[in-house]
Amino acid sequence: MKEGFRQAMAWLHTWTGLIFGWLLFAIFLTGTLSYFKEEISHWTQPEVQRHPLDPVSSLGLAQRYLETNAGHAGTWFIRLPSERQVALSVSWRDPNGGGRRGFTDKDLDARTGEAVEARDSRGGEFFYRFHFQLQMPHPWGRWLSTFCAFIMLLGLVTGIITHKKIFKEFFTFRPGKGQRSWLDGHNAIGVLVLPFHLMISYSSLVIFMYMVMPASILASYGDSGGYFNDVFGRDEVPEAVAQAAPLAPLSELYAKVQEQAPGARMGYIQVHNPGDRNARVTFTRASADSVAYQRSAIWTFDGVSGELLRRGAPESAAMTTSFTFVGLHMGNFAGPWLRWLYFVFGVAGTAVIGTGLVMWLGKRQLKHAKSARMPGELRLVEVLNIASMSGLLLGVAAFFWANRLLPATLEGRADWEINGFFLAWGASLLHAMLRSGRRAWGEQLTLGALAFALLPLLNALTTANGLDHSIAAGDWAMAGFDLTALATGLFLAWAAGKMLRAPKPAAKRAPRAAKTVEAS
Amino acid sequence: MLGVALMGFAGFAGLCLAMEKHFNDLIGRKPTGRQLRALKVAGWALLLLSLILAVHGRGWALGLVEWIAVLMAGVTLWVFGLPYQPRLLLGAALASLVLGPLLAVLAV
Amino acid sequence: MKSKAAGLPLGYRLAVTSRSLAALLGGYLLASMASVCITLLAPMTQADATMTGMMLSFVFYLIAFIWCFACRSAWRAWLGVLLPSLVLGLINALAYWMNLP
Repeated sequence: MKEGFRQAMAWLHTWTGLIFGWLLFAIFLTGTLSYFKEEISHWTQPEVQRHPLDPVSSLGLAQRYLETNAGHAGTWFIRLPSERQVALSVSWRDPNGGGRRGFTDKDLDARTGEAVEARDSRGGEFFYRFHFQLQMPHPWGRWLSTFCAFIMLLGLVTGIITHKKIFKEFFTFRPGKGQRSWLDGHNAIGVLVLPFHLMISYSSLVIFMYMVMPASILASYGDSGGYFNDVFGRDEVPEAVAQAAPLAPLSELYAKVQEQAPGARMGYIQVHNPGDRNARVTFTRASADSVAYQRSAIWTFDGVSGELLRRGAPESAAMTTSFTFVGLHMGNFAGPWLRWLYFVFGVAGTAVIGTGLVMWLGKRQLKHAKSARMPGELRLVEVLNIASMSGLLLGVAAFFWANRLLPATLEGRADWEINGFFLAWGASLLHAMLRSGRRAWGEQLTLGALAFALLPLLNALTTANGLDHSIAAGDWAMAGFDLTALATGLFLAWAAGKMLRAPKPAAKRAPRAAKTVEAS
Repeated sequence: MLGVALMGFAGFAGLCLAMEKHFNDLIGRKPTGRQLRALKVAGWALLLLSLILAVHGRGWALGLVEWIAVLMAGVTLWVFGLPYQPRLLLGAALASLVLGPLLAVLAV
Repeated sequence: MKSKAAGLPLGYRLAVTSRSLAALLGGYLLASMASVCITLLAPMTQADATMTGMMLSFVFYLIAFIWCFACRSAWRAWLGVLLPSLVLGLINALAYWMNLP
């Protein structure tokens, strides 16, 4: 560490990048997928039909269903269909229902109001939750992923410090030059998309700051309850008084909200004590309607009289700031083209990490190119690189293959899809240990290429939602999934070709970084 | 936003050409100091103008976000496309120079 | 950095470990102290000050981390995070005590 500031930062960048790179790659990849989690869920549950949006009608259907099937429940939740969410979802608190966390969830057909029997699948929600919980018991996954986000931020800052020619080489990318090209690519997707990378990393910290940096809350409030009350407002729901009173038609209350905020889309509707005199109905505006969460966009009504009781308090500047960070991270406000850009930038972030891992090894492999065997530590890095990148992609593909192949009636099939993900990922780790680096890469990328490219075919063969139907019906979420899977397959095939063909790893490998961004 | 995106693209192309090495590689001859300076000014001017139009059209919150997004997308396309299709991109930059302001003004 | 891992002297390894701990733990302490300081002193509502403190804390963590690996020795790393933490801690204690009803 005596060499100088820049070198020290290069050292820090390289080593934190390596140690956390494998996990960060997974976080970034699954996070990127999460930008299309509703669309993924639509693909994994094609039984849920998309209908033209009609919030008033949907509310009526939901209310009718809940009054019939959940009349005695203390709390109802309703999520209306949106441009992106196909299903009309209802859930209610039912300790005997056997659902997760004491809730029973049902997807209703938005036209008939009948419950849809869709295959049980977590869909896009699996990748979304994985990317910040890492399949670890609460709260360890969140701690780890948040710490990783900090390391990512550190990596970006140390990278900026280390990159001496950041302005001079701003537009520089020289393919076909081995390690130089990898570095150019790594630097380019780092620098050119830097605002996104910085935002994503910093906002991750803000999202869980109440958990990872609780000192302020403890010093100021003593416990988190007071803090959350101040920020979000207490859910002052009165107890049920065991006096029956019919619940006002929710569509009427919806109309009142529309008077206050014309054109507002609803995120979800909560009903407390339905059928009781102390019923309360809360409308929360859709997160898609603004960048930052607006606690002022919450309306609470008396469930019987329909009187507007309360509207959320306006946000302060500090709240708007932190909610903006969160909102930017989630990207719920993004329309179709911006959402695709989010996806592309997410892939870019993933590629920054991936190219870094490849370079870390490549540079050191050059030194040992002459010797027959790689030193143990490098071999370890090589295996982990392969498993964490191509292996992870195989896991993702396996999840979707399982979704189409597992019988709909299989008990716990949603969990089995997830098992498929981890089994494939684990198998890839084993494979990487048993094969030489170049061959392992080539074989896994080839398998990945097939697995993704054939997904549209698998879809067409096992459902009525193949590309020919989805495009004709204008179901662009379904078609988009198939087409993206195809494009991913083609990209992986190209990468596999590079691995299996070129004799010398250092000289011939053209940067995948470039194609990573373009292919998406 | 398309007009803003095209203007941003053209702006970055200008800033790229304002660097002697890139000018030389792409145009094929050595630039004069005046040309480089003109390109630099034009590049920055386009970027600034695209920002103003973005905010004017979409407000500060969405405008800034979308502006940064389309600029990142454009410059990434430029940098990674350049080694493979320099002439195509130069043409696209010129087209953007014309279409960008046109579309942006029409949208206003 | 050359990765002749087997050949790295013990002193070097200990120094790196020490710096890492200073960064991870000491940095976190410094960030927390800075966070509390901002929260207790900022002229904002309680909720706003708390949020602002938390949001800014990560900048301090980042700077602490960089310091721990940029400074000339592992001792300086620890000094650089513990001394400011102590100072901020004292300010915090004072502010907390003064705020008590």
